[in-house]
Amino acid sequence: MTEARLVEELLAFIAAGEADEEAFNRMALAVFAHQFETNAPYRRFATQRARTLRTVKSWRDVPAVPISAFKDLTLSGRPPEECPHVFMTSGTTKGVRGKSHHPTLAVYDRSMTVNFRRRFMGEFDRLRMGILFPTEQAMPNSSLAHYLALARSAFGTAESRYFVSDAGLDVDGAIAELSRAEETGEPYALLGASFSVVHLMDALAERGRSFALPAGSRILDTGGFKGQSREMAAEEFYSRLSATFGVPRRLCINMYGMTELSTQFYDDGNEACPSVKSGPHWIRSRVINPLTGQEVPRGSVGVLVHHDLAHFNCASAILTEDAGVEVDGGFQLLGRADGADAKGCSMAVEDFLKAARAS
Amino acid sequence: MERAGHLPGLSADAVDWRTLTFRRGAETLDVAVPVLSEAQIAELATRVRANARTYLRSRTVAEIAAAIDRAVARLLDRDDPWRQKAERLLPLVTGYDAEMVRLGLTGYLKTFRGPELRKFIAEDFANPAVLDDFQPMPKGGFARAFGPELLLHVWAGNVPGLPLWSLISGLLVKAGTVGKLPSAEPLFAGWFAQILAEIDPQLADCIAIVWWKGGDEAAERAWLARADTVVAYGGNDALEAIRARVPITTRFLPYGHKISFGMVARSALDAGKAGAVARQAAYDVARYDQQGCYSPQTFFVERGGRVSPREFAGYLAHELDALGSKFPRRPLSMGEAGSVASWRNAEETKGFADPSRALLGDPAGSWAVAYTDAADGLSPCGLNRTVTVVAVDRLADAVPGLAPYRAFLQTVGIAASPEELFALAGALGAVGVTRLCALGRMTAPEAGWHHDGRFNLLDLVTMTEIEGSAERAADIFAPYTD
Repeated sequence: MTEARLVEELLAFIAAGEADEEAFNRMALAVFAHQFETNAPYRRFATQRARTLRTVKSWRDVPAVPISAFKDLTLSGRPPEECPHVFMTSGTTKGVRGKSHHPTLAVYDRSMTVNFRRRFMGEFDRLRMGILFPTEQAMPNSSLAHYLALARSAFGTAESRYFVSDAGLDVDGAIAELSRAEETGEPYALLGASFSVVHLMDALAERGRSFALPAGSRILDTGGFKGQSREMAAEEFYSRLSATFGVPRRLCINMYGMTELSTQFYDDGNEACPSVKSGPHWIRSRVINPLTGQEVPRGSVGVLVHHDLAHFNCASAILTEDAGVEVDGGFQLLGRADGADAKGCSMAVEDFLKAARAS
Repeated sequence: MERAGHLPGLSADAVDWRTLTFRRGAETLDVAVPVLSEAQIAELATRVRANARTYLRSRTVAEIAAAIDRAVARLLDRDDPWRQKAERLLPLVTGYDAEMVRLGLTGYLKTFRGPELRKFIAEDFANPAVLDDFQPMPKGGFARAFGPELLLHVWAGNVPGLPLWSLISGLLVKAGTVGKLPSAEPLFAGWFAQILAEIDPQLADCIAIVWWKGGDEAAERAWLARADTVVAYGGNDALEAIRARVPITTRFLPYGHKISFGMVARSALDAGKAGAVARQAAYDVARYDQQGCYSPQTFFVERGGRVSPREFAGYLAHELDALGSKFPRRPLSMGEAGSVASWRNAEETKGFADPSRALLGDPAGSWAVAYTDAADGLSPCGLNRTVTVVAVDRLADAVPGLAPYRAFLQTVGIAASPEELFALAGALGAVGVTRLCALGRMTAPEAGWHHDGRFNLLDLVTMTEIEGSAERAADIFAPYTD
């Protein structure tokens, strides 16, 4: 199948609105075949695990690439120079960044918009938005910058604006916008990186400001804190979010995505933490033991593997470093699955890298 | 339910207890750990200090060492109920293979028998009597070494029995002792105090074994404020947090996380010797699943021997596989499994991009050896029986790359000729390595080891000097003076 044909089929698959096991399987095998044929490093990886076009019979057999591989390998069906869009991870471990190449953003954008409308917009077609993240122009390789720009152009009103620029966080601008929303009663949407939200909340707290945004207003945060702000436990984060902006916790929605995917997961608000996250019909997740690759019994903690058919050019199946547990309606995300409880006095990778950077 | 700790003078009913639960397969063990109020902390600190002052100071080091020797003898006696309890419960608590714990305990405890205790003392004091009374000094006058009245140990780690090292060091300098149990293995230190109580109750009254939850600042501050000296083990972040709370007048002796590695010279790589060398190297990797600061994470292997570094990696893999059947690795938490998996995955994918790399490992992920030809230098592995073999033209080539990690280097297990050994020792010492030992011995330092290059006993004491002038001046006031 040509790439153009695959893209067409994927767009139709997304538009179909749902997929049963069989339909998902068929599409997944087509995507795997495309990756196996066009992507030499992925083929080597799959072959090493004895997964070939002959042996992969179900989407569950599609070998999942560890996300660290995006740092060491160029995983792209099309030669990288033919891909106008490259998203890179922010991770600066050893200065190497993971890359996802996109020959077209048609599938990425369709995946994002269909899902975003369903999971975030609620009854609204458009909302006035405030964005707590740099623009796409400022960060051309950030998938999150693209995602938020798309949210704004596809679902924001013309007055929607950014509060982050070279000059940093525009606290006064945010206060003016939030006050305006309070006065006019027009529902407002605040979107951004979780750490930027923390910075804004801290700045507002310093000025003794809080808001009661109009009914229907909502907040979307994503990405965690990444050392860019202090860490906050989810419970504290959402209770403060709700108190600071007057948005009920069921409308404080967290998006979980990654540069190595083309589809995002959402929860249905954060009344209870950890929330249950789920994705649309073109992505499926499994919870596995990272050492054996075996799925763990339902309800046990393991590491998340995502099979994202929209990520057709690189690797649709990825093995994350995120711990999770499968529950009714999706999965709960439990943070990073490494070194969480190294007990001994032997030095672990994180500390070593920190030392190496310091010296 | 096991009760942890040792609280002389406090009745168990007066103390709050909190339960830590340990699971291994179908077995569970509840361990009650004490949670003390500020008043109880004050009371216990005062009592331990007073007991140390009156009792420990009146004993000779030899008498104290004799009591420790008897306690250790009981733990070495396979028929003793304490030993049996240790063999039964420690595997359950730590998750380590029972046979590994049994052998490990014996090897470790042997380090603290009477003759070995004398090595500890002799390593640090040319004249051990200086701990008992004023001794003449080469420069003139007299001096006596005093240990702290209240020595606080903050223990960490889950290598069984590890707290014994600092606890015994403290007793040998007659320090009143308060030890904070590690939550990962909260039993052994308390047992040792209880065995001492059966042998010499007054000695055991100079020891309190307590617990507080990591991050409980109030309890930590209360103890830190009362100690004369604090010995703490842990990661550098944890140690930094403790140091910030230690009063400036209190001596603080931190033991941070370390990294250790092995070196194999071409002289050890002939067909007759390489197998045995690999077996010893694998043993160092497998023992306590690399949780110790002395556990190797990388092996530098010299090119040019009959067995190539690549082949040596294969030997090592084979030996790790064999040890895996003999001493199975303990069950890993999801976090630990994640660390191992992400290291393995990263090493494997590097191999796709670079044919000079390879990863050898079993499908179940119970061990792995990464091999690289590249001049990669020292790098931490995923722990839990994962290791990197780095090929080098000459072992000395590996040394300059170690310099950035000076503060973290500790043990080097080495297989080389005497000449090479001494040449490398000089270079390694200069970049911060503090211990060289035979392969197969990395996880079992000998008695009197200078942990992280420091003195076990000497760092704990202060010297009180009677200068020659005082001595001479005193003469004038003697009743028999002319």
